[in-house]
Amino acid sequence: MLIEDLGGSIMGTIPLGDIVLYLNPLHIFLFVTILVFTALIAISRTETQVEAMFGSLDENKVAVGKKEFKQRRFLAIICGLATAGAMITGDLFNFTLFMALIGIVNIGIVSAVKQVDVLNSAYQYGLIAMMCGLPLFGGAAMILAATGTLSLFELATIPASPMMIFGALVMLIGVCGESGIAPFFASKAEMFRTPGSPFILIIHLSSLFIIVRFVEILLTIL
Amino acid sequence: MPKIAKLWNKLADPKNIPRLFALILGLLLIAGFLIPVGLNTDQIYTRPAPQSQMDAGLAIAPYDRGGEILESPGVTEAQYPENSQNLGWINSYMTPIAEVLKGISPYFGTSICASPGGVIDESLYYTRGFDTILESTILMMAFIIASWLAINFTMDRKKGKEDIKEDVKRAIASSDRIASEVEMSNRKAREKQAKKEFR
Repeated sequence: MLIEDLGGSIMGTIPLGDIVLYLNPLHIFLFVTILVFTALIAISRTETQVEAMFGSLDENKVAVGKKEFKQRRFLAIICGLATAGAMITGDLFNFTLFMALIGIVNIGIVSAVKQVDVLNSAYQYGLIAMMCGLPLFGGAAMILAATGTLSLFELATIPASPMMIFGALVMLIGVCGESGIAPFFASKAEMFRTPGSPFILIIHLSSLFIIVRFVEILLTIL
Repeated sequence: MPKIAKLWNKLADPKNIPRLFALILGLLLIAGFLIPVGLNTDQIYTRPAPQSQMDAGLAIAPYDRGGEILESPGVTEAQYPENSQNLGWINSYMTPIAEVLKGISPYFGTSICASPGGVIDESLYYTRGFDTILESTILMMAFIIASWLAINFTMDRKKGKEDIKEDVKRAIASSDRIASEVEMSNRKAREKQAKKEFR
C-alpha cells in the first residue's frame, strides 16, 4: 500500500543519509503527542503510595528516593524520545533499533525498585526482550535479503513476496514480545505494580504507540 | 471450560511468559522452512564475494571498500545519493590505532576489535550514520543502568532489620508452600500407584 493512502499526504522529509524520516499528518500527531507526554513526565513528581497498616491506625508510605527518582526520570525521558523517533522514522532497520532501545530502557526504569515481585517480572520481561533481538533484527534482515532495500518508500512500491511476508511475521512476533501485548502481557503488567507512577506509565505508553506505528509499517510494506 | 480457565491462569504468571514466547517463536521459525527463501541479488548494501578479499591479501578483509584518503573515493552505494554528497570519500579513513593494527596483523578485518561496532565500523556506515548513533545509544543505556545498579546496590538487604524480618517471613512461607506441593504430588502418586495395584 502506498504511504499516502495510510497516513495522509507527506508534508516533508528529514534526510539523514539513507535514513529518511518522513512526516505526514498521522506521524506528526503521534510524534507531538508522545513529546507532550514526555514533557509532562519530565516536570512531574512521583506519586507516593499509602498503605493502611493491619491492626492499627498507622499508615505506611512507599515513596521513591531522590537518587532513584533522578535515574528513573532520565530513563523515562530517553524512553519517550526513542518512542517519538520510532514514530517518524522511514527506515525499517532504524525502527527495530528504536524498539530495542525502548526495551532496554523499560527494564532500566523498574530495575531500581525494591519489591521482589516487580524485579522478578522485570527479569522475565528481560528474558523476552533478549529473545526479541532475533525476530526483530532477523525479520528486518529477511526483508532486506528479499528486496535489497530497507527504505519504507521503496518497500511500499515493491509487491509482497512470501519471503517478505514471513520476514514481516517474524518482526511482528518480535514487536509483540518486546511491547508486551497479549498473550505476553503478564510479565510487563506485573512490572507496573510499584510506586513512581508517571515514569512507570511511559513503559505502557511507549508500547501502545509502537504497536500503532508497527501496524502502519506492516500495511505499508505488505 | 475449566481447562481454558487453567490456561488463562497460567498466562497470568510472569514465569511462564518467556517459555510461551520461545515456543511461539520456535514454531514460527520451524514453519519458515516451508517458505521459499532466496537472496535478491539487486542489493544496495552489496558485499564482495566470500573469501575474495582474503585471497587478495587485504589487511581489512572482508571490509575493504577501496579508495585512498583525500585522493579517490571508494565504492559505496546509497539509496538516496542526493543525501550523501561525499559518498565513498571516507571509505579508507581509519583511526591511528586502526592503522597501526592494520600494519601489524594481516587478519585485522576479522578480529574482534575491527567489527562490528569496532574501529572500522564508521567507514562502512556513511549512509546509515543515524543507525550507528542509535546502536551506541543502546549500549550506553545498558551501561548506565548496569553501573547505576552496581554503584547503588539497591538490592542490598543485609543492612535493614525490617528487610531481614521480611525475607525470613517470605522464606518460611515459600518453603511451606513447596512442602505442601511436594505432599500433594506424593499423595497423587500414591493414589495412582494404588489404582494400578487395584487393577
